[in-house]
Amino acid sequence: MRAAQRGEMAAFEELVARHRDRVYARACSMMRNEEEALDLSQEAWVKGWQRLQQFQGEAGFGTWMTRIVINLCLDQLRRQKRHRAESIEAMDEDSGGVQRQMPVVTVNPTSGLERAELRQRIDDALGKLTTEHRTVLVLHEFEEMEYKEIAKTVGCSIGTVMSRLFYARRKLAALLADLKRQDLR
Amino acid sequence: MRHIPFSRTLLLGWAGVFAFLISGEARLQAATLKLQVQLIWGTSDARSPDPKHKPLESDVQAKLRDLPLKWSNYFEVNRKDFEVPASGAGKVPLSEKCELEVKSLGGAKLEVVLFGKGKETLRRTQTLAKGEMLVLGGNAPNATAWLVVLKRIE
Amino acid sequence: MMDWEAQLKLQAFLDRELPEAEACEMAGKLARDPESAALLAELRQTHTLLAGFEEGIRLPESREFFWSKIEREIARSEKVAPAPVSVSWPARFRRFLVPATAMALLAIAGFVATRQNSPSVLPGGGQIETALADPGAFTYHDYSSGTTLVWLSYPAENELADDEEAVTVE
Repeated sequence: MRAAQRGEMAAFEELVARHRDRVYARACSMMRNEEEALDLSQEAWVKGWQRLQQFQGEAGFGTWMTRIVINLCLDQLRRQKRHRAESIEAMDEDSGGVQRQMPVVTVNPTSGLERAELRQRIDDALGKLTTEHRTVLVLHEFEEMEYKEIAKTVGCSIGTVMSRLFYARRKLAALLADLKRQDLR
Repeated sequence: MRHIPFSRTLLLGWAGVFAFLISGEARLQAATLKLQVQLIWGTSDARSPDPKHKPLESDVQAKLRDLPLKWSNYFEVNRKDFEVPASGAGKVPLSEKCELEVKSLGGAKLEVVLFGKGKETLRRTQTLAKGEMLVLGGNAPNATAWLVVLKRIE
Repeated sequence: MMDWEAQLKLQAFLDRELPEAEACEMAGKLARDPESAALLAELRQTHTLLAGFEEGIRLPESREFFWSKIEREIARSEKVAPAPVSVSWPARFRRFLVPATAMALLAIAGFVATRQNSPSVLPGGGQIETALADPGAFTYHDYSSGTTLVWLSYPAENELADDEEAVTVE
C-alpha cells in the first residue's frame, strides 16, 4: 500500500489483482448488469489511484474501494432512473402503510440445494427486487453499513431505509420459498 | 506606482448585475404562489364505485404509479386551486374531515400542514418547484388509500 | 398481528440498531410471543442466506487485460497541464473582471430561462418533517419525476378522507 501511495504502479497493480473480484462483485450486485459492473469497476480503480493519498487505513483497502464503486453505481442508477420505466407489476410492493401482510416463511429454502444452485436462486430473487430495495439490501447485507450511513449514502430518511430493507428481506424470503415449493411439486 | 485606468464599461456591467439581483429578489418576495391540491383515492380496482369520482390526469396517474405503493388506480375525489400570498398562508378544505394549509416561506419554500378531523396530523417544510409534486398519503378502509397531491401551477 | 412499527423494531433488533434498553425489552417480548419469534427467524434466515453470496463472483477478464485498461485510463487522466505564467496582481484582477462580468450576465440570462424548472432541494437538505403522533411515517423521493411521498402509517380507521366521498365500497 505504501509503495502504491508513493506512486509505484506495479504495487497498485498488485492491489487491483487482490481486490478486483470483490469490487466487481459489489458492482454486479448493485447494477445487475455485467457490462456496466465491469465499466464501473474499472472507473472505480482509476478513481482509487487518483485518491490513494486520501486512504488512511481506517477501514480495509477493499472496503475503501467498494465504497468508491458503490458511489459510482449510485450515480449511474440515478442517471438511469430518469429513463427507466417501471411496469406496474414491478412496482407491486408492500411498504409503509400497505395493509397486506406477507405470511412468515417457515420452509427452509436451502435444504437439498447445491451451493451453486442456491447462489443462482438468490441471484434470481435479487433481480426481482426494485433498484431501490436492492440497493438498501446490498448496502446493509454486503457492505455492512448501518441504517444511518445508508440513509446518508442513498439520500433518504432512516425510516425509509428500514422500510425498504424490511420489504427486501421479506420479499426475498417469499421468492425463495416459492421456488422451493415449485421444486416439491 | 503605475496608475491603472478603471473601466467604466465594467463598472456599468456590475451595476446592472447588482440592480437585477435586487429587483429579482424583490420580485421573488412579491410573487403569489398559485397552487393546486387534489384529494385522491387509491385502489387496486379498475373502477371506482363512487360516481362522483373523476379520472385523474394521465401524468399525475403515471407519477403516482412510479411510487412504491401497491395501488394501480387513482381517482380524483376533490380538487382545489388556491393562491398563497408571499410570506402568507392559505387553508383549503378537501373534505369534511381533511384540510390543508400552505404557508409561503419565500421563493419556492413552503410549509405544508395537514389537518385530519381538526387536528394537525403532519407538518412539512420543503421546496416545491413548478412541475414537482408533494404527495401525502395513508391507508383508507378496505385496503385502499387516500392521497393529497399538492402542485404549483405557476 | 404485529403492527408495522413493531416489525421494523424487530428488524432493528436483529441488526443491533436498537438502543440497549429497547433491545432488552424486545428480547423479553420474543421469549413470550411466537409470532415475533417466527418473523425474527425468517429475517435471520434471509440474513444467513445472503452471507457469502458475492464470494463466488469473479471478474470475467484476465488480470493483464483488466489492468491494461485501468493503466491506460490513468495515463490519459494524468496528462500534465501547462504551468501558469506569473502575472502581477492588478493585471490578474483586470483579466478576471472582464470574463467575470460576461459570466455574471450569462448566469442571469440562464437563471431567468431556467428558474421555473429548477430542481427542488433534495430531501434532507433544508427540509424538516414532523409527522405528529406518527413515528412510522416515512418519506420517499422520486428524483426523476420530482415527486415526494410522505406516507403516514395510521391504520385505516384514522383515514382522513370523507367516508361518503372516498370510500363507498359495500
